[in-house]
Amino acid sequence: MKKSIIKILALFILIMGLYGSAVDSSKAFSARDLGRGATGDDVIELQARLQYISFYKGTIDGKFGYGTYWALRNFQEKYGLPIDGVAGANTKKKLTSVSEYNEKFVMDNLAKGNQFTHYGGTPLSAQVKAGASKPEQAHLPSKYSEQDLKLMANAVYGEARGEPYEGQVAVAAVILNRVEHPDFPNTVGGVIFQPGAFTAVADGQIWLTPNERAKEAVLDALNGWDPSENSIYYFNPVTATSKWIWSRPQVKKIGMHIFCH
Amino acid sequence: MKKLVFVLSFALIALAVFSYDKAKENDKLALALSGQYAKRMADASEKLDELNVAIEKSLLFNQSDGSKKAREDIWRLTSDIRSSIDSLPLDASFSTAWNNYLSRVGSYAKDAERLSKPGEFENVMAKASENLQVMSTDWQVATAGLVDGNYSMNEWVERLDANNKDVEWSQIGNSVKQYTESDFPLTASESDAMKKKDLKNMTDSEVSQDDAVSIFKQIFPHVTNDVIGVEKSQPGAPYPFYHIRFTSNQTVGYIDITEKGGHVLSYLADRPFGEATVSFDDMKQRTEELLKKAGFRDVVFEEARENDNAWHFVYVRVEPLHNAKVFSDVIHLKVAKDTGEIVGLNAAEYIRKEKVEDQPIVKIDWKTFFNKDVKVEKAELAYVENEQLIQRLAYLLTVTKENSSGIGTYHVLVDSETKEVIKTEKLF
Repeated sequence: MKKSIIKILALFILIMGLYGSAVDSSKAFSARDLGRGATGDDVIELQARLQYISFYKGTIDGKFGYGTYWALRNFQEKYGLPIDGVAGANTKKKLTSVSEYNEKFVMDNLAKGNQFTHYGGTPLSAQVKAGASKPEQAHLPSKYSEQDLKLMANAVYGEARGEPYEGQVAVAAVILNRVEHPDFPNTVGGVIFQPGAFTAVADGQIWLTPNERAKEAVLDALNGWDPSENSIYYFNPVTATSKWIWSRPQVKKIGMHIFCH
Repeated sequence: MKKLVFVLSFALIALAVFSYDKAKENDKLALALSGQYAKRMADASEKLDELNVAIEKSLLFNQSDGSKKAREDIWRLTSDIRSSIDSLPLDASFSTAWNNYLSRVGSYAKDAERLSKPGEFENVMAKASENLQVMSTDWQVATAGLVDGNYSMNEWVERLDANNKDVEWSQIGNSVKQYTESDFPLTASESDAMKKKDLKNMTDSEVSQDDAVSIFKQIFPHVTNDVIGVEKSQPGAPYPFYHIRFTSNQTVGYIDITEKGGHVLSYLADRPFGEATVSFDDMKQRTEELLKKAGFRDVVFEEARENDNAWHFVYVRVEPLHNAKVFSDVIHLKVAKDTGEIVGLNAAEYIRKEKVEDQPIVKIDWKTFFNKDVKVEKAELAYVENEQLIQRLAYLLTVTKENSSGIGTYHVLVDSETKEVIKTEKLF
């Protein structure tokens, strides 16, 4: 009787173990195909697994860029898979079978903003350096950096958080229009911190933590939207003290702001 | 009662000490800041003098190493002065005019050897030198108050007010504008580029406000239940357009449509987003259907970028002559990941269509053109703007080079006729 109970318990534990591992492997990756331009946790896993077997040497940041693309193609070539640089079901299955992924290690270090790698054969604890800040999971056009996104989100939130979404995108677009304009500094930071250029810098509101809406508005501006129609100035007619700003040719009014050239 | 008096007295003393410390700290900060500003102003004055000397030096030589070195100094010094100007609290009209002038002096010096006709450089720079001497004096007079420590930060900022006639900043700014116009008039290509940006050459017939709303309803029928308002652009707009605002359920957005021709400049809808359910291929198909419906039939998919709630798609126009992409004529689309709805369209650059010209295509041996460890992954043709703002037919090469941190990918644009490298861009 005792032996039978032990056998049943052992069988139960074995079944549960198999079930658990089956759940784990089905959890690996999402169902979607991953290609260039994709962003997200499944891209983080893809990069970490490719790095584990030394195909990917770049930063694990969850952004499927060219570095990930070439690493994936090389992996596909080595394992006799169709070489298209897209992680479809077969590629993901093969990758899962030949690599390991320590999700907790990767996610913890990403959350802390640490610099780290995920190579196999080396203790993971030896692959971490303290970092400065958590990277943004946003895919930007090549000419812009995460720093640009962060600074602009702060500026838009400080300057226009009460404005309609269109008005927030327009404020972000004005910053970018200035960067391109010969009359202004040629960097996002230079434009935002030009003395007297933005009220939010003068009164410190630029250091408030921006919300997701402000970030989304900046992303749209960085991706080409310009509701201000090429404006390089804007002002609130109720609070503006400068007479000069009224002399600028006005283009459009959005919310409380008048946008002008 | 005694206790209350004691507590109140104690609080009063504590408050006084705190206020005194705070005021002292603020004074210290203001002094440190004005010191920094004074230093930058003094630096700018010094570099202005150096710039003038560099210009004079550049006039000594006849296209030689000496001239090249002096021209490089001009470019470096203009960049340095611009950087100082950008970080100083100055009158807005003055600093914008001054920035423009300095960037033109610097760019002209940098490109003179390649772009200017014989003798032109000397004439232009001799005039610039005279103007800079006047500017240098004006600048020193205007900034003397802060540099000499005669003004506090507050007093300085007050004096920037246009109503205060102590220093006529706007007058100095106007002088600089005149120098810019006389010394560095816009080139034909710059003028063309500006006209294009302002859609000045658009000859399409005007559409009415009702027509504009119909165009909107035709392209985006699902969000046109309630048009909140249609406004005309303000009189200062370089190209007149209709600004249509709309709402539909939880969606709020706008569309701008040109008065001439009824072209969509941009469209953006804002709403709460749900979980992603639509596949990338489905979204791409929807963008292509919308582009066809809106009449954008000569574009091809270029790239896509995923973000939290949406994908941003980029399409570029293809010039049939050489089947070449025209990178100045792009269309951006934003597609919601939850429903696959097109929530944004930007065709402002596309409707400023470039006029491109045919150009010879010479064969180039990429093996000798690049270092041996560079691999050309893809070669296409594209029209791209060169430094003189002229559209040139170019080889668009996607190349890779492996290093210790992985495989670097670059777009290299090489003029198909002159073999000049127009642009090299690192792709991420």
